[in-house]
Amino acid sequence: MSNPSPRLEPKSGHAPFSPALLLGLALRPVRPSLLQPAFDAGLRAVVRRHPDMFERMGSFGDAAVCLDPVDLPFVLLMEPHATEPRLTVRASIEPEEVSATIRGPMATLIALAEGRVDGDALFFSRELVVEGDTEVIVALRNAIDGAGLDLMGDLLRGLGPFAGPVRGVGNLAASLFGWVGDEVESLRRSLIARALAAADAQNARLAELEAEVASLRKQVRAKGRAAS
Amino acid sequence: MSDLERPELVCPAGTPAALQSAVDAGADAVYLGFRDETNARNFPGLNFNRKELEAGIAYAHERGAKILVAINTFPRAGTPEIWHKAVDDAVTLGADALILADIGLIGYAARTHPQARLHLSVQAAASNPESIRFYAERFGVRRVVLPRVLTVQEIAALNPRIRPVETEVFVFGGLCVMAEGRCALSSYATGRSPNMNGVCSPAGHVRYVETAEGISSELGGFTINRFGRGEQAGYPTLCKGRFQAHGKTSYLFEEPTSLNTLAMLPDLIKAGVTAFKIEGRQRGRAYVGAVVRAFRAGVDAALAGKPMPEINLDDITEGGRQTTGAYERAWR
Amino acid sequence: MTLGPVLFNWSPEAWRDFHFRIADEADVDTVCLGEVVCSKRLPFLMPHFPDVIERLTKAGKEVVLSSLALIMTDRELEQARELAATEGLLVEANDVSVASLRAGRPFVVGPMVNVYNEGTLAAFEEMGASRVCLPAELPAPVIKILAEGTKAEIEVQAFGRLPLAISARCYAARARNLAKDSCQYVCNLDPDGMEVDTLDDEPFLAVNGTQTMSYHYLNLLFELTALRKAGVKRFRLWPQTVDMVAVAALFRAVANGAMDPAEASARLTGLCPDAEFANGYIRGREGHVFIDDDGDAPLFPGD
Repeated sequence: MSNPSPRLEPKSGHAPFSPALLLGLALRPVRPSLLQPAFDAGLRAVVRRHPDMFERMGSFGDAAVCLDPVDLPFVLLMEPHATEPRLTVRASIEPEEVSATIRGPMATLIALAEGRVDGDALFFSRELVVEGDTEVIVALRNAIDGAGLDLMGDLLRGLGPFAGPVRGVGNLAASLFGWVGDEVESLRRSLIARALAAADAQNARLAELEAEVASLRKQVRAKGRAAS
Repeated sequence: MSDLERPELVCPAGTPAALQSAVDAGADAVYLGFRDETNARNFPGLNFNRKELEAGIAYAHERGAKILVAINTFPRAGTPEIWHKAVDDAVTLGADALILADIGLIGYAARTHPQARLHLSVQAAASNPESIRFYAERFGVRRVVLPRVLTVQEIAALNPRIRPVETEVFVFGGLCVMAEGRCALSSYATGRSPNMNGVCSPAGHVRYVETAEGISSELGGFTINRFGRGEQAGYPTLCKGRFQAHGKTSYLFEEPTSLNTLAMLPDLIKAGVTAFKIEGRQRGRAYVGAVVRAFRAGVDAALAGKPMPEINLDDITEGGRQTTGAYERAWR
Repeated sequence: MTLGPVLFNWSPEAWRDFHFRIADEADVDTVCLGEVVCSKRLPFLMPHFPDVIERLTKAGKEVVLSSLALIMTDRELEQARELAATEGLLVEANDVSVASLRAGRPFVVGPMVNVYNEGTLAAFEEMGASRVCLPAELPAPVIKILAEGTKAEIEVQAFGRLPLAISARCYAARARNLAKDSCQYVCNLDPDGMEVDTLDDEPFLAVNGTQTMSYHYLNLLFELTALRKAGVKRFRLWPQTVDMVAVAALFRAVANGAMDPAEASARLTGLCPDAEFANGYIRGREGHVFIDDDGDAPLFPGD
């Protein structure tokens, strides 16, 4: 059995930042906790620019949502509280810990957060899979869509003072955030190109992808456990 | 076609970001609602508070666009104040028109704010000249959003008979197959309805269940549809579900589909329609931007007598399917 | 007690004979006559109207002429105009246009017109409405507020399949791959409505041509007394192909306090052995549920 471990090419900012590359990145054995400071800084950066974002959650602000990028070996626990939102990186989340789960390729989730693709359309095409309390999902989608996020721009502009912690979390996170340099637009384009293409062509079939990812993830988590 | 009136393109916004998208993409007017049960898209996380409405009106007015505020549910007996306050605030903040459905509330608006421009919501389902005359003569309603039950021919015949009342018709988006505002299917299954709660087939009563065959979508515990792997899914709106009758399984009421009349715009302009409405306050700003751009191009082309642009909106339609709905007689 | 108009496409003879029997035997005060759902059916009933009206009137019953619910064509509007001009009989407006045409003279506001609150009720009263049959989805506390604040008689639907929606499209024809314009009147094959099941074989709705109805039969026997106390003056029984004379007798007996609701409900089950009952709306719940425990979903919460 071949071991799927594509290598991350350094300085490849102009090469397509493809899901395979992301996957390769992620397939390196890494503890989720190493990524946490990067996500903390990222969320702080976004919230600083959009302080009212989670106000739209209203009575659902206490709900927890699992964001599951199916092509990455970690999941995110989103707590969209109006004043103290949190985004926690986890190896896995039990269904009973959250009100709802949103699954999809990372590129799709980013494109969705930036309002560049239509959530309903993704759902209609099965590019996104949602489970649990649909009301919470709808509220979260509306809160994020309504904020008008420019995720990459917000992150890069907002990360200035937090660049330290980001650099401190090791190669992986540094690669994720540090590698992008100033080329926000090209990064964004390459990052979500696939999601945009999928929404255009209606050719995404998450079912197949899920099967593929499930087997990959198993291997990754096994490796992750071995490494930690 | 230069002698034709330039129709107004009325576009949806569920959030300030969507409002900006709509205005930037060429909307002549944006319609929206308050974040409560006073409007028919009372979805979690959606709609505008007073501060956001004020900012939205400023953004639109600076760019020559209008803001129409939908207060189009039916006030609950005993608590009309919530609805009255919505009317008062929308007028005070400078909304260009109110979109109302309930006769009592229209009466309140007409009495309290005689200068306000009133539009009749599609939720009032005024489907004939006599109903329209009723709202116009008693309450001074200036425009009627027509229910999605009439053909283009019927609309063309209606317009000259009701002038100076204007008509607004839906040109894109989700499609009620029942006469709007006269449907209790949602509350029959979930206890919550468009008329009383501003929601149809509400998300809180929706469940997706993974089965061996694929996904089942449930509403209020009733299985509304089932999708095989790889099949286009749909939101479990009751009237777009698959049911069994006389031993046959079918989309009895309507397929999961979206109204798309882009190719029909010249006919609708000729029919004397004043405004074209795009459905979808609950959709994201990506949808709003794409649809508004397409219809801006369509209306401009129609007015210039040019052929309709070929714009593919497949990827944002429900079930990937499109229909011209009741505008063509065969739909009935 | 009001007997609502027959909503289904019964054969003209069956429709006539049904009303003859009602005239002769049923203990109801008022009978509504008219085609509410589909204007294509009306010409077949018209020849029998004079006989039926005469028989009912002679039997001491008030006759109300009910209008179409969805009026779209010139022909339909012309019929509505004629209906509204009727002298000597009360007219029920099932569309705003009919109320408008009838304004200034007494009329009934039918349950397909949206009366949800005091403001709308007052507007219709001002126009001459003397009676209002409320929409199906209203809960008891709302009904109470409306009944307390009006001089018009408040009527509440109490028995039969509930009309839930009306459309320009005919689902009876569509279910048989027919166009509405050439429908062959297939809706007459289902005199109580075409039953609609979910994919899991769960009964859910019923289709009556362009009208969508509940699968469940409304049964407010348990609520009659409390609703009367709340100011409801009339109850509407929707005709089904069951013994409506016997059904009316049960509702009358409970309303008069002559029979226990549980006893009447058991007998009603005997009269409609295939029906499942519901009373959810009146208790502020999903329309399809049946609640017989007042503790679970009180009729007037907080009272």
